[in-house]
Amino acid sequence: MKIQDASMLEKIRQEGMAAIVPDVPKISVGMGTCGIGNGAKEMYESLQKAIKTKRAKIELALVGCFGFCAEEVMVNCYVPGQPLVILHKVSPKDAESIVNGLCRGMIPLKKALCRIENWNFYTSRVEFGTGLSSVPLWNEIPFFRGQKKIVLRDSGLIDPEDIKEYIAVGGYSALMKALTQMTPDSVLDEIKKSKLRGRGGAGFPTAIKWEMMKKVETDKKYIICNADEGDPGAYMNRNEIESDPHALIEGMLIGAYVMGAFEGVMYVRAEYPLAVERFKKAVAAAKEYGILGKNILGSSFSFDMSYVEGAGAFVCGEETALIASIEGRAGRPLPRPPYPAQKGLWGKPTNINNVETWINIPVILTIGGDAFAKFGTQTSTGTKVFSLVGKIKNTGLVELPLGTPLENIIYQMGEGTGNKKKIRAVQTGGPSGGCIPVEHFNTPVDYESLTKLGTIMGSGGMVVMDQDNCMVDVARYFVEVTYAESCGKCTPCREGLAQALAILNKITHGEATMEDLDTLERLAYVIRDSALCGLGQTSSNPVLSTLRYFRDEYEKHIIQRRCKAGVCESLFIALCENSCPMHMNIPGYLQLLKEGRIEEAFELTLRDNPMPGTVGRICYFHCQMRCRRDMVDDPVSQGDIHRYLADTMYKMGKEKEVYQRLIKEKLSNTRKKIAIVGAGPAGLTAAYYLVRLGHCVTVYDNHAKAGGILQYGIPAYRLPKDNLNKELELFKKLGVKFVFNTHVGKEITIKNLQKQNDAVFFAVGAQKDIELDIPGRQLDGVIQGYEFLEKFARGKKPHLGKKVIVVGAGNVAIDAARSCLRLGADVTIVYRRDKDEMPANALEIKDAVDENIRFMFLSAPHRVIGDIKGKVTGLEIHKMKYDGFDNNGRKKPVETGETAIVECNTIILSIGQKVEFEPAKEIGLELRKNGSIKVHQPNCRTNLSKVYAGGDAVTGPATVSEAMGLARQAAEAIDIDLMKEKRFHKLFRDFKYKDEIVPEPEGGKKINPKKLPVKERISSFQEIHAGYSGEEALQEAARCLRCDVKCHSQVKED
Amino acid sequence: MVTTMVNIKINSEDFQVPDGITILEACKRKGIKIPTLCYLEDVSRNSSCGVCVVEVKGARSLVRSCITCVHEGTEIVTNSARIRDARKTNVELILANHPKDCLSCLRNQNCELQAIASDLGVKNGRFIRTKKELPCDETSPAIIRDPNKCILCGRCIAVCGNVQTVHAIGLSGRGIKTRISTYQELGLGNVACTNCGQCALVCPTGAIVERDDTDEVFEDLMDPEKVVIVQTAPAIRVGIGEAMGMDSGALVTGRMVAGLRRLGFSKVFDTQFAADLTIMEEGHELINRITNKGVLPMITSCSPGWIKFAEHFFPNLLDHLSTCKSPQQMFGAVAKTYYAAKAGIDPRKIIVVSIMPCTAKKYEAKRPEMMSAFEHWKDKKGWSDDDAFYDVDYVLTTRELARMFKESGIQFSELPAEDFDNPLGESTGAAVIFGATGGVMEAAVRTAYEVVTGKPLANINLTAVRGMEEIKEAEIDMNGTKIKVAVAHTLGNARKLFEQVERGESPYTFIEVMSCPGGCLGGGGQPIPTTWEIRMKRAESIYAEDANKPIRKSHENPEIAVLYNEFLKEPLGHVSHHLLHTTYKKRGIFVWKSNGEAKKKKKEAEHAV
Repeated sequence: MKIQDASMLEKIRQEGMAAIVPDVPKISVGMGTCGIGNGAKEMYESLQKAIKTKRAKIELALVGCFGFCAEEVMVNCYVPGQPLVILHKVSPKDAESIVNGLCRGMIPLKKALCRIENWNFYTSRVEFGTGLSSVPLWNEIPFFRGQKKIVLRDSGLIDPEDIKEYIAVGGYSALMKALTQMTPDSVLDEIKKSKLRGRGGAGFPTAIKWEMMKKVETDKKYIICNADEGDPGAYMNRNEIESDPHALIEGMLIGAYVMGAFEGVMYVRAEYPLAVERFKKAVAAAKEYGILGKNILGSSFSFDMSYVEGAGAFVCGEETALIASIEGRAGRPLPRPPYPAQKGLWGKPTNINNVETWINIPVILTIGGDAFAKFGTQTSTGTKVFSLVGKIKNTGLVELPLGTPLENIIYQMGEGTGNKKKIRAVQTGGPSGGCIPVEHFNTPVDYESLTKLGTIMGSGGMVVMDQDNCMVDVARYFVEVTYAESCGKCTPCREGLAQALAILNKITHGEATMEDLDTLERLAYVIRDSALCGLGQTSSNPVLSTLRYFRDEYEKHIIQRRCKAGVCESLFIALCENSCPMHMNIPGYLQLLKEGRIEEAFELTLRDNPMPGTVGRICYFHCQMRCRRDMVDDPVSQGDIHRYLADTMYKMGKEKEVYQRLIKEKLSNTRKKIAIVGAGPAGLTAAYYLVRLGHCVTVYDNHAKAGGILQYGIPAYRLPKDNLNKELELFKKLGVKFVFNTHVGKEITIKNLQKQNDAVFFAVGAQKDIELDIPGRQLDGVIQGYEFLEKFARGKKPHLGKKVIVVGAGNVAIDAARSCLRLGADVTIVYRRDKDEMPANALEIKDAVDENIRFMFLSAPHRVIGDIKGKVTGLEIHKMKYDGFDNNGRKKPVETGETAIVECNTIILSIGQKVEFEPAKEIGLELRKNGSIKVHQPNCRTNLSKVYAGGDAVTGPATVSEAMGLARQAAEAIDIDLMKEKRFHKLFRDFKYKDEIVPEPEGGKKINPKKLPVKERISSFQEIHAGYSGEEALQEAARCLRCDVKCHSQVKED
Repeated sequence: MVTTMVNIKINSEDFQVPDGITILEACKRKGIKIPTLCYLEDVSRNSSCGVCVVEVKGARSLVRSCITCVHEGTEIVTNSARIRDARKTNVELILANHPKDCLSCLRNQNCELQAIASDLGVKNGRFIRTKKELPCDETSPAIIRDPNKCILCGRCIAVCGNVQTVHAIGLSGRGIKTRISTYQELGLGNVACTNCGQCALVCPTGAIVERDDTDEVFEDLMDPEKVVIVQTAPAIRVGIGEAMGMDSGALVTGRMVAGLRRLGFSKVFDTQFAADLTIMEEGHELINRITNKGVLPMITSCSPGWIKFAEHFFPNLLDHLSTCKSPQQMFGAVAKTYYAAKAGIDPRKIIVVSIMPCTAKKYEAKRPEMMSAFEHWKDKKGWSDDDAFYDVDYVLTTRELARMFKESGIQFSELPAEDFDNPLGESTGAAVIFGATGGVMEAAVRTAYEVVTGKPLANINLTAVRGMEEIKEAEIDMNGTKIKVAVAHTLGNARKLFEQVERGESPYTFIEVMSCPGGCLGGGGQPIPTTWEIRMKRAESIYAEDANKPIRKSHENPEIAVLYNEFLKEPLGHVSHHLLHTTYKKRGIFVWKSNGEAKKKKKEAEHAV
């Protein structure tokens, strides 16, 4: 039946509406490719079966995709009078209960994601119903909040295979309006007013493109829809065609009417079979209804559509290459001019627009160009659909007004990574785009802003990357894509990308030099400057943008041969080793232990870490965060094992031999004098390596003993001091001189140190408590966290009342709280965020919970309350809630306005520590704003000659192992500077052990070392953890999957 | 057409140039040389090398001067750090994958890549080799392609496809794997390639070169058992001087003869003798076809590239080709029969070397039909097939001859002028002009007119068919019978005339076709570069030589008369039929019909490497 006029269109509209809002219950299954991939087809069949068995009067239909990929399979349920409810993550076993519920007029809400009461299709408005207020409205849930569905107006809500449903929501009425009430010029005027820009990526104004084409007078013109979506991670166009093919056809028809074209071609990737199928069905239906073909909708306008499936060459997204491909030639771009509008397909004037551009057209005609231009920004109007993928919790398609800040997309709609990992960057625009680092997440997403950041909008792919993504590898990956997709015509792209890839491969394999980096950068600029087509010109964006924002990471790969993210496998032994700030060869000592070679295992450990027993007790265990065993059950307790090795050796007195070996192999005396300020973990580590390198090392400290935070910060129940002092003996044996009770800057001036030594290394730590500026903080009973721990360690017993409040949630706060508990107090920890956000070591938190320490989360200290004597009686707190995100993507706590008063006698403030190094100012040492010492990475040089720094003094409060790792790095750098040669490797030796892949995970479940019962714990400062027995240690070591074993297979390249 | 002039700025200086010309052209007119490796006037605008980039005000990136046109107000910068960096980098990128065997390359010191690298002061070493070594295509008897030296400039594809309309080569693969290839990688020897060698002539590097036969010739020259004689095509005498460092188009007939004699050839003969002979045979064939209502138009058959082109693309119209062999082959057949007998030499010991401006001649000499002398003697002498020999043993191009001269230490410019040997060294002006487009036609008309009318030709110069126009035509009145003739050079133009024949719309009686632009003087074996300017100079020398010749009509060549008298008896006679005429083969475009056969051939081609 061919539609001849508006009344016929209206009749069909009513028929269609009866299908969308029927008078019986209806279930619609979201059947885009993503839904089907997650089992939507099986779901549909199960529902069909359930309805049949029940003989229920329920309509079953398919709809497109609503865009929330992470929540597929999604099913829409409708009961007349009620809102449309979208169920998520359903599976066939839910079918029966859904059908049963609907039979009784009840929508099962167990899996309800959201509800829709009414929907703005922009080409019409549909009321579903009201009620069910326990289910959030669709735009109340984070993923949809702030979205504006114009392009995706119909997606997931109508049946893409039923033209009537499209007509029902106002489809083809814009076309009817154009053909019957408007001239091509007046349509063009509306497009002009809308300021719509091409959604293919470059953002060329659509109206200008159309006008150019319109002006050409010739016998034949073509319009083309570019659906050659090829960016890795981008699938907006696929979904748009699958979910709403008629919107595309309508947009093209209107365009054809304006430009005077009678033939259209859809160029779509062959990899999109469902899109092709739905498009074909839509064309057939449109022909049947007189919307395509001769005398469309009864007018004199005629237009026909065909389609071409592209073979998947990325370059065919470039319009001249696309035309070549349609004509059956190889997809190689031609120089422009002539532009396709002058000479395009088959030599005729041709207009090419992206899927999304076309789909916007009917809306512009319905609501008017001016109204459309109100969405988005002044220069980038309307909305844009992005596919949000990568390291993000909520993957899916988001459509939002242009100009929306990136952070809203990533943190609010995407809800971050969904785990503790930190987001580092977002890649937009596919291989032609670039990376935007976290610092720039407040950038509004529009054409100009993204270009300024060195990337492009592209077709809308957004790949989120977290701390486990190596940015060099990311650049390498995208260059590899364009390298493979280069058509091969012009030198800069063909040859240049091959060279760029070769250099990037060298970098990721640790074989590059800084000259290579320079070559890479210059090459990238030449490629951008002199490649022939858009693909080539933009192909170096990933390199240039990562160089712009992550140059230090490139340098780290080149100079230190390290890949912090643990991606570039040539640069590390195993992920645990790579994550360990000291780069301990963990698989090595585990294997040696397995082979019963305990002395060697200890020696290997000791060469990487002078205090294995100490660190094994208190480490943050960076290694475990990337342990692959975690994928099977739990990470291997590597720390407990090196603690076991140390304890056992000491118990047997066998360490002496190993110590003797280290002393014997000390390099010959260099007569270079080095002063180290601070005998904490960093100072000790630097001393350990430097003295072994043959230097004369003197360590200065203002305390009476060595160890720093190990001695004075960490309580004995975690780190018994006997153990520590045992390990400290090694330093003296190796010849390190200690000068205690000496304040550098007071008893001895830095100037003198500089004069008397060949190098000075500052490792002064970060122990100064950050003060919390609240009223009443000067009252009696308010003490600082670290200060408390230190005094206590030095033997001063503090006066605590019965009730103690600890403010803060870091390790110092937990240590203080648990110490107080052991001193007999009733302890409450007050923290302004919630438990998941606590920065302290997870194991410590668990122990604290076990020991019955109380927590008050989302509570910010507001005011200390005291009695007339000036003694603390309580703490007033603000109740907090989360709203928005901070720069690091952490949820931002804000005051609710509600307050409460907690009674207490003592308040320990422990919101963090900072570096305080007073003498720095006198000598002109350059500091950062937060007081930490500024050094040049990776050599740890300060602005002063001969002066180096490391540890927390440089990084701010970090973990013991991080401080030691940086000190090790500094020691190596100092030695190179003093000796002008690389000697550091001489401190290590090869241990031969079996390199066999573990075929099956061994060792069973993780073994937790025995702990002191809670009752015994809280009454003393006795060590809680007993450590492994020999048997347990062996069993635990067996759990290692040996991912350090690399087999090199020779794959013959084609 | 009125050319509008526009005001542009080049490096801040104001200029007026015609609207719409390329920036490259505009700069050239203003004395600024812009380096390029892919652009070639009238042949290629592939815009692929990325070397000719310049800055244009308002453009975001650098623009390619070879394809970007000037408009009113265009402001161009041709020399900046940014430009130099891009140019150098792109040349370096090409060099990274280019073999470093310049010293042993046939194009050493005549290589555009070498010259540009030197001009731009390119330093080596930043980049590594990223391509795998590819096998050379040695399937053709005429042309060798070394894909490793190819810089993918696209000139060969453009000249083969656009000028010659042969399309024997195209791009295959993509990215770094892109290469110039033949259908199914079968190799030039196994596809519809005409061996015209224009690709070698335009190649900026040594990626496409003639098959070098100089070693074999040297070897035979040193062999006391062999009598090595040489023939030189008309176009050599206007080309070899260039290759030896003289001015373009230098006419060096006498020096060339002296040089060949110094190389040790026992006789220095002239293909022009055979050209006169060709006119005798072809002229009579034409008259015969006209009188006996044979297949017309008749088309010349001197150009072997054209013959193979016709066999591939117009296999059903081969009747239109004159059955006459080319002068080279007529010479070979006569040398090993008539001359051998006359000089009393065993024809098996005679080695005929041709010096040709042409690569296709190498292929022609090896066609199986080209063993007429052997067939002539076989039964008479009772020889077996083991004694078989070709009429022409070796074909050397102008470039190869120059190499032999250089290798032998011959100071070409110091040589005296010497004369050809007799009897096969005598020729007329009509034979000289075989070297230029239109020459065969003019020579044929000089003879045919007089044979048919019995009257001397009033104006011996048929200027209508001279010059470099694509297709030239003339009308000749022979005793009241007016015949129309046409002349085409390049296979693209020949195709147009043949398509006319195919449609039955050809108004011509006689057509001359030369494969190469400008005729043999622009042949694929001539010195590099061969530009239109150079072709014109060579043509001038050709017509000057013609004008200076005492005898200018083939039928007046006294040695030809002797040849007929003593040996051939009459044109188109029995002996002529066997020795001087030939047959053609219907080839079609797809030389290898079945896929299996193609694969087999491909394997063979790979194996050969």
